[in-house]
Parts: sequence; structure tokens; C-alpha cells
Amino acid sequence: MSSLATGHALAPQQPQPRGLLAALGSTDHKRIGTGMFTTAFGFFIAAGLLALAIRSELLQPGSQIVGAERYDQLFTLHGSTMFYLFASPIALGAGLYLVPLQIGARRVALPRVALGSWWLLLFGGLTMWMGFLTTAGAADVGWYAYFPLTNMPNSPGVGTDYWIVGVIMAGLSGVTLAICLLTTVVKLRAPGMTMLRLPVFTWAIVITSLMVITAYPALVAAMALTLAQRHLGGVFNLSEGPIAYQNLFWFFGHPVVYVVFFPFLGAVAESVAVFSGRRWFGYRPFVVALLGFAALSMSVWGHHMFTTGAVDNHWFAVASTALIVPAGIEYFDSLATMWRGRIRFTPPMLFALGFLVLFLAGGLTGVWVGSPPLNYQVTDSYFIVAHFHYTLFGGSVMGLFAAIYLWWPKVTGTLLSDRLGRWHFYLTFVGTNVTFLPMFFLGLDGMPRRIADYPAGTGWQTLNDVASAGSYLIGLSILVFLLNVGISLLRARPAGDNPWNAYSLEWATSSPPPPENFSGPLPPVRSFAPLLDLREQQVAWEAGAAGAVALGAVGPVAGGPGAAVGPVVRGPGAAGSPVAGPPPGAALPARALSYATVLGVLGFAFVLVGLVVGQWLWMIGCGVVALALVSLLLQQRAGEG
Amino acid sequence: MVDTRSEHDDLARLYLPIALAVMVVVVGLLVMFAIRYRARGAASEEPAGGPTHAPRVELVYAVFLAAVVVFLLWRTFRVEARVDRVAAHPAVTVDVTAAKWEWRFDYPRLGIVERQVGKRYPTLVVPAGREVRFRLRAKDVIHAFWIPSRRFKRDAIPGRTAVFTLLFPHPGAVPGGGLCSEFCGLGHDQMRFNLRVLSGAGFARWTSARSLR
Repeated sequence: MSSLATGHALAPQQPQPRGLLAALGSTDHKRIGTGMFTTAFGFFIAAGLLALAIRSELLQPGSQIVGAERYDQLFTLHGSTMFYLFASPIALGAGLYLVPLQIGARRVALPRVALGSWWLLLFGGLTMWMGFLTTAGAADVGWYAYFPLTNMPNSPGVGTDYWIVGVIMAGLSGVTLAICLLTTVVKLRAPGMTMLRLPVFTWAIVITSLMVITAYPALVAAMALTLAQRHLGGVFNLSEGPIAYQNLFWFFGHPVVYVVFFPFLGAVAESVAVFSGRRWFGYRPFVVALLGFAALSMSVWGHHMFTTGAVDNHWFAVASTALIVPAGIEYFDSLATMWRGRIRFTPPMLFALGFLVLFLAGGLTGVWVGSPPLNYQVTDSYFIVAHFHYTLFGGSVMGLFAAIYLWWPKVTGTLLSDRLGRWHFYLTFVGTNVTFLPMFFLGLDGMPRRIADYPAGTGWQTLNDVASAGSYLIGLSILVFLLNVGISLLRARPAGDNPWNAYSLEWATSSPPPPENFSGPLPPVRSFAPLLDLREQQVAWEAGAAGAVALGAVGPVAGGPGAAVGPVVRGPGAAGSPVAGPPPGAALPARALSYATVLGVLGFAFVLVGLVVGQWLWMIGCGVVALALVSLLLQQRAGEG
Repeated sequence: MVDTRSEHDDLARLYLPIALAVMVVVVGLLVMFAIRYRARGAASEEPAGGPTHAPRVELVYAVFLAAVVVFLLWRTFRVEARVDRVAAHPAVTVDVTAAKWEWRFDYPRLGIVERQVGKRYPTLVVPAGREVRFRLRAKDVIHAFWIPSRRFKRDAIPGRTAVFTLLFPHPGAVPGGGLCSEFCGLGHDQMRFNLRVLSGAGFARWTSARSLR
């Protein structure tokens, strides 16, 4: 076994293509993941700026900054960008980077699919935003685009068509990437890495991918039907169409809020475990709870429709309230992991704790809005805006920053400043509460969502001003984060392979990882925390207890003393340990670039946009797709020869 | 006769303390653990060990949570049954029509029509302490009929008629009135109506005055 490993370690490394152009067409999952993550973060900043414009307009009654027309475009693009272009792709992008490393794989399955997914996201996002360049402006139908508001006479702007086409691309990007991630986990796990030894984050990504594959096609279908309805008509009729569309949309629209929650919950779980110096508590119940969470979340879409009178409110109230059970398990396990730990208050841990507090506020108000008689008052009011921003901003975005601070050293090989990280955390935490807490009271007091203006006599101005001040605080916190990133990149402080003493396999390779992910043999995988197993073995060994004391108390580690060689996981030192052999999956193919894939996606984007713009672009798109396909086929043949 | 406001507020008085209690307990434990178990000294980087699973405890805990779910749903469904009940013999029936971007109220048996004139919002006039039945329709896109002070809202969807009953206990002009809460396009924020609750005698005077016109 060790000869195999050595043979692999000595194999000549492939020259990695460099330069900007290479980064755009690389099939290395780390490059695609980084590209996807960066793209999504760019859209986060853009949608955040829209939010600041929205909050500024609401500072006073009357129109100051934008009129109602522009305002409607702002909240439509804010919501849809945050969901389709930021939260979901950034989660899956992080998964694309980390999952192969966490399961000890050398590459991702279906790398060209992953590459195409990134470009679909980028083209889709740009198409969604293209409406701002047209005279009628961008889409103004809300992120959910209800029929019949989307009918041509009601929303004639071509910006809405661009937006629909862009959302279709973003939706397909999600589906393709989820397929790629799931295939990777099913096919490329390292020897010993059974499904019940996947790290918690990987499990979260697996379950997220299952939900994406199930739910996102409904979004693509809803948008395609809307496009057909706008231009051809006859898809939805005016009597059943509105409810049919809502069922279709929310069948996607509720699962998506869990899609943008689980991966960050996974990152929070990893942070809490690592910075408590403990193994994640109750791994198996947690996985079962996550699966139950996902199953329930596919069954609750009707709670967005309590006030339509067209769904079975009882059933959807049961399913929605039952979410208390898996959510309770999640909190139990988080607290139990901290219990008797050695807690280090690093930035990832602070953001993880912030996540647990703020998400709880969102979750408890979620129980509230899951009760139909309470929902009748607050649905489509600012109460709902407060509720889901506590889950999505207080929850998911806090979890995202926990993930960024946790894995930044691995991905870049440099350290972020702890001090700036702490300031970033405090500003975000305070800003989130100042922004969103007042909205609960505004909603209960009767302020509806999506209004460009409110009458002066309502007394809502004070709370709106507080909320707006909070949003500027959040904006400031993002600036602090960008400053931290800039300093870290310009004045690099080397991070080392495992600066946090973390547990999963990505910390057993260099920072940043080499193109083939692991240049040496993998450490043995006997649990979901292989590096913690090694450290615990070493501690037990050093304490002289290796001979007699059973290790059962510290978890499922079952290796004899001879197997323990300490935390050395690379190089010749690992030769004596029961290594799992070289990571699975052939190394990257000789051509680690696929411009043909990028070309194909570009052609596909032309085809879709051509449906709106005109036949000529549609035909150019078809030509480009054909060219890309021929090129891919020729490569395939050359590779076989 | 069901007062939607007191039904909502009673249910809220059950949900709110539970939510606050959970918040206090969880945040309290987080803070307590953060203080009690913070890393100290040189050994702070060592793994801390300790138990890693307690499936039976978690099972008991899950059963407890499920019991809480059942309790909340039981209370919710009792309230919902009352709030959703449609009165068989209402004192007044009002046909509400939502359109871009104004409200229109028809009192079919009384022959009264109240609609928006220019920028002046229409006024929904109802008798105090009597059951009022609403039949809600939408002309063009989806709207929603919301009276915040009644804690009640119902969507107005093209092709459907929503029927519901509301009670307005006290006479007087209701601050805030009512408004559209489903985004319906450009004039969504201007889609409001005034609400005036009259005593029995006052309502009779109003109907005879308006019917004559």
C-alpha cells in the first residue's frame, strides 16, 4: 500500500496552466469553485447596494431618490440576485471547492459540467441585470414573478424578459452543479470514507444538492412557462392560472431557503466543533435531522399561500411547525458540542455563534408565521421581511462569513487579521439587529412589503430611519471585511497547512492545495474527523495510556497503539500508518482546460437571449453551440487516440 | 361572533412567551458555555475530549419537541376554525373589488357603491358589533385585502371569490384603515382605503342617506 502511495507522490506534477485566460477555462474544481464563489460574492455586493438604495428611499415619506418605477426594479433585483445569483451559487461554489478535498478526492466528477455551471451563472446574472440598460428598466415583478402580474399588458418591459431568461440560466446552473457535486460524493470518496464518515459540511452539501435537483427544475419550468405566456399566451388561464403558478413557484421557492441555509449550517457546525476542541456532537442524529429537515422543507410550500384560501392550511401548518423538531436537534447538537469544550473565540467561531443567535430569532418567528391565524396578520408585511432576513442575513450570511474565515487560510494560504475579523463581526451583528428588529414592529403595525412610499401620518418614519441606519452599519461591516481581504492578499502571512487544528481531510494537504489536491498519501479515515482521530491517538499515546486504556470514550477511534503515528499526515512519516492509499479519481486530464465548454455555454446563452432579442442572435447562438460540440467531440476522439 | 383581533392577540400571547423563553434559554446557555468553557492557558489547542453522542437523550428531546408541535397546532387550529368561519346570516354583505390601483365597495342589498374619486381613497363603512360578510374579487392582477387593526388579510385573486366574515366591535374611524398588501405593480403603495365603523343607528342613517342618492 505504501509503495502505491510513494509511487503517486513521486509522479511528476503536471504543469498547471497559468494566467487569467487559464483561470477562466480550467477544469480544476478549486479554480471553478473560486470563480463561482467570487462571482456570487460580486453579485452579493451589487444586490447589497440595491438594498442600501431601498433603505435610503424609505428614510422619509415621499419620493426622494427613486420613483416607484425604479423602486420596484430595485427590490425585484435585490431579492432575485440574493437568491439566484448569490446565496445558492456561493453555497454550491464553496461545496465545489471543498467537497472533493473533504472526501479525499483528487478532482471533481464531471469537471466540465462544473465549469459550464459557473459560466451559466455568470451569463445568467448579467442577463438578469441587463434590463437596467433598457429604457423601460429592469424587471419589476418581484423575485417570485406572480402570474398575472407578469402578463405582457401588466409588465410590458423587455427587462422582465431578460430577467426571466437570466433566471432560467441561473436555475440550470444550480441543477448542473448539484448533479456534479452529488456524483462526486457518490463516486470519488477515498477508501474508508463511508457515507457515515462524510464531514458535516459535505453532508450538508449532499442534502442541499438533493434538494436543488428536486426543486430547481420547478423554477426553470415556472420561468419558461412565464416566458411562453408573455409572448404566446395560452399557458395559464385567468381562473386557475394564478394558483397553479404559485404552487409551481413555491414548490421551488420554499426549498430554496433551505438550500441557502444547510451549507452554512454545515460550515457553522465545522467551526463550532473545531473551535470548541471537540468532535461534533451527535453526528448520526444530526444527519438524520438534516434529512428530515430537507424532506419537510419540500412539503411546506403552501405556507406561502395561507391567505389565498386555495391550499390546505392545516397540512401546511403541520409540516411547517414540525420543522421545530429537526431545528431543535440542530441546536441541541451545537450546544452539546460546546459543552465541556475548549472554546477559542476566533472570527469563524464568533460568526458561528452569531449565526446561532440570529437564526434562532428567525426560526422562532418562523414558527409564528407557520400558524395561519398569526400569518393572516403578518404575511406580506415587514414582519415577514424581518423574519426571513434574520434567517437569511443573520443566519446564512453569518454562516457564510464563518465559512470564509474558516477556510480562507486553506484556499489562499494566507491569514486574515483576527482583529479586523472581530470588528467585522461586531458591526455585522449590531447592524443586523438594528436593521431588522424594527421591521417586526413595522409589520405588526400594518406596513406592507414592496411599497415605494408610505404616508406621513402613519408614524412609521422613526423605525424606518433606525432600520436604514442599521443597513449603513452593515455596509460599513462589509467594507471592513474587504479591507481585511485586501490586506491579507497584499501582505501575505503564510497560514500553514492546518492553522486551526481542524479535523477534516482538506487540512491534511498544503494551503493552497496542489492541483491534484493531495501530493502524498491520505491519513486513515476512521470517522468523520480523521485528523482529530490522529491527534487523540497521539495524546493517548503520549500519556502512556496507549497500552491499556480503551479509546471508546473519545469516539469511534479503534486503532491500536501501533497505528498511531501522530498528526503527521504527509511525507515518509505516514508510511507506517494504515494509509488509505492514493486519493481516488484519475489525476486531472492532460488538458486541464476546456474553452469549448465555455464557448458552448456562451452559445446557449445567446440562444436563450435570442428568444427575447430576435432570430439573428438565436441563430448565432445555435452556430456557436454546434461549434463547441464539434470541438468537444474532436477533443474526445483525440484523447481516445 | 368572532373578533379576529382578539383571537389573533390571544394566540400571539401564547406563542410570544414560548418564543421568548426559548430565546432566553438558548442564548443563556450559549453565553454560559462561552464563559465557562473558554480556552485558557497552554493546553488550549489540545482536543477537549468528552462525550460525543447521546442518542437516547436526543430521542427523548425530539419527542418533547414533537409534543410542543402538537400543542401549538392544537391551539392554532382551534383559533383558525373560528377565524375562517363564514357567518350564515350576516348583518351586511359587502362586495369588495380590487383593481389596479383602487378599491371599490358594493353593498348589493342596499344599492350603495363606494369607489375612489381621484386621489381620495374610498371609505369602507360598516356597522359596529355586527357580522359583516365580505366577498372579495380581483379584476386584473393579484391584490390582498388587509385591515391591520382587525389582524386579518385575504388575497384577492382573479378568477376566484374569497368569502369571509369580520366583526368590528367599536364605532369610530379606524386609523390606518385598510390597504393592499400583495405587490400589484406601480401604484401598489397608493392602494388604500379608509375604514369607518358606525353604531347601529348611525349605520342605518348612513345607508338611508346613501341609498337615496
